[in-house]
Amino acid sequence: MIAVETEFPLLPPALRASRPAERRGIRRDQVKLLVIDRKAEAVHHSRFDRLGDLLSPGDLLVVNTSRVMPAGVRAVRASGQAIQLRPCVRRAGSWDALSVQPGPPFENVALAQGETLRIGETVVTVVARRPDIPLLWRLRLEPVDDLELILRYGEPIRYSYVPEPLPLDSYQTVYASRPGSAEAPSAGRPFSWELLAALRSRGVGLAEVVLHTGLSSFQDDAFDAQHHLFEEWFEVSPETARAVNSAERVVAVGTTVVRALESAATWEGRIMPAQDWTQLRIGPERPPRAIDMLITGLHEPQASHFDLLRAFVPGPLLRRAYAEAVERDYLWHEFGDSALII
Amino acid sequence: MSPQRLIGRKTEAGTGLGPDALRALQPDHVNMDHLHGKVALITGASKGLGRAIALAFAREGAALALCARGEPALQAVASECRLLGVEVLAVPADVADPADRERLVSLTLARFARVDVLVNNASTVGPTPLPLLVDTDPQAFEDVVRVNLTAPFLLTRSVVGAMLLRGSGIVINVSSDAAVNGYPGWGGYSASKAGLDGLTRVWAAELAGSGVTVVSVDPGDMDTEMHRAALPDDDPAALAQPEHVAPAFVRLAAVGASAARLEASELLEEVPR
Repeated sequence: MIAVETEFPLLPPALRASRPAERRGIRRDQVKLLVIDRKAEAVHHSRFDRLGDLLSPGDLLVVNTSRVMPAGVRAVRASGQAIQLRPCVRRAGSWDALSVQPGPPFENVALAQGETLRIGETVVTVVARRPDIPLLWRLRLEPVDDLELILRYGEPIRYSYVPEPLPLDSYQTVYASRPGSAEAPSAGRPFSWELLAALRSRGVGLAEVVLHTGLSSFQDDAFDAQHHLFEEWFEVSPETARAVNSAERVVAVGTTVVRALESAATWEGRIMPAQDWTQLRIGPERPPRAIDMLITGLHEPQASHFDLLRAFVPGPLLRRAYAEAVERDYLWHEFGDSALII
Repeated sequence: MSPQRLIGRKTEAGTGLGPDALRALQPDHVNMDHLHGKVALITGASKGLGRAIALAFAREGAALALCARGEPALQAVASECRLLGVEVLAVPADVADPADRERLVSLTLARFARVDVLVNNASTVGPTPLPLLVDTDPQAFEDVVRVNLTAPFLLTRSVVGAMLLRGSGIVINVSSDAAVNGYPGWGGYSASKAGLDGLTRVWAAELAGSGVTVVSVDPGDMDTEMHRAALPDDDPAALAQPEHVAPAFVRLAAVGASAARLEASELLEEVPR
């Protein structure tokens, strides 16, 4: 457990972005950009579409192309009670899923070991609580294409600061490809293709990894504060490994990219092609070996995300950046503004 | 299918395809898996031109994601294609429905991880007999635009990002001569196809140099269920069969296009009636 709550004031609720930039009257690439310069120990303020001013030819942007699924899945208990299942870890024939109310505030709903649920016509059996993360339920699914189930019966997972359901498309990056993420790899959301093309034309490279995200919250603040770690599936291709190993500077777009690349990194920081589950926790005790810069969304200091940021940025500078972002009304969460750590 | 028909007269006369591309489609190279290793997503694949394109692509070795509203006919086409030795995903879906579109795209990318060729073929003329514009039901007009114009835009938008990341891919929009002519009774269809041509031109201009091609193709009049419903008095014998037009699409998928709008006949030596 990380005691960051005592170091950072709570985020004013008004700064939680409730809708995408495009629905706030600006383009997705026109969100604010908080620039944290570690060498100069300085904080600057820019805009995301001016990212090119801060990158150089030979830099390599690495993006996570995982596509978000509508992973809040309608299910019904034998009693007739409607619930929402949020699969956090999907394996063949089984899910480790959160069970919550089907609407706000999406509080946890306790299930009973052995009970059966239905998703449409598909029967799901509750096996047990997951021992290491007891708010997750291990579920056994009938032989079925579970992606088809999710696509038919799911809606995008949303949190209390998003009052109205939004189309799944609102959560996708412009390069989203293979589906598998329960929640958006949102650091890449501000990229437009216009911006990516402009960066490419300036000699900035572009490479992809896949990391299918699990859940960012278990809908229980005290439980979330314990920063439970679960496995996520990731893929780093030989092409991406080569590109990263030969790049001048590697810019990870999002903490999911950090997790994927660092899971594929040797002790010396060389990236090897890999496809596997990862449980790697990046933090001050395990700093990144292969990544030079990070683009990230802004998330509350209580989130485990912040632990990872502390692997990149010394605490005092991070606190200063956080305070300036709050003072200047930066918006937080998946539809909010962005930060670049250089 | 005659191999020679893969060679287009006008193309040889200079539409810009290089000699290597043409050589690749010489008769002795036909049925040599020109599309092997490629993944094609074809909408409206259960009958008519969509079915013919699916079968033609399967013969050339493409893995296929096929969609149509009618499941039995779609599964029948999928089975025919599988007999040709290719992997096929059949997704019953209405391209005008947002949830169905997401299901189509997600299931396709989950299975194949990529789309190299998108053929926006699903199309409707709206209610038949075809009404004059002044008699057209507003909802019917909107439905035609949603299927023929909006759905191709949104499907393209959903898959083109992954194409751009790889720097390759082609989107083929099936257009019509109604896009450039004012045939009485074809109001919604004509407007939607003209819109589709306009959309294609803008896509093509915006993506120039990216490695991703967007082209619209007028297949010409064919003997299809849709044509018979719209023009029941036409003599089917005077119309081209879809399987004789499909090689034009193989050609585009294999070697690309050099213009934003083409007629299938430009890509074929001869379309038999």
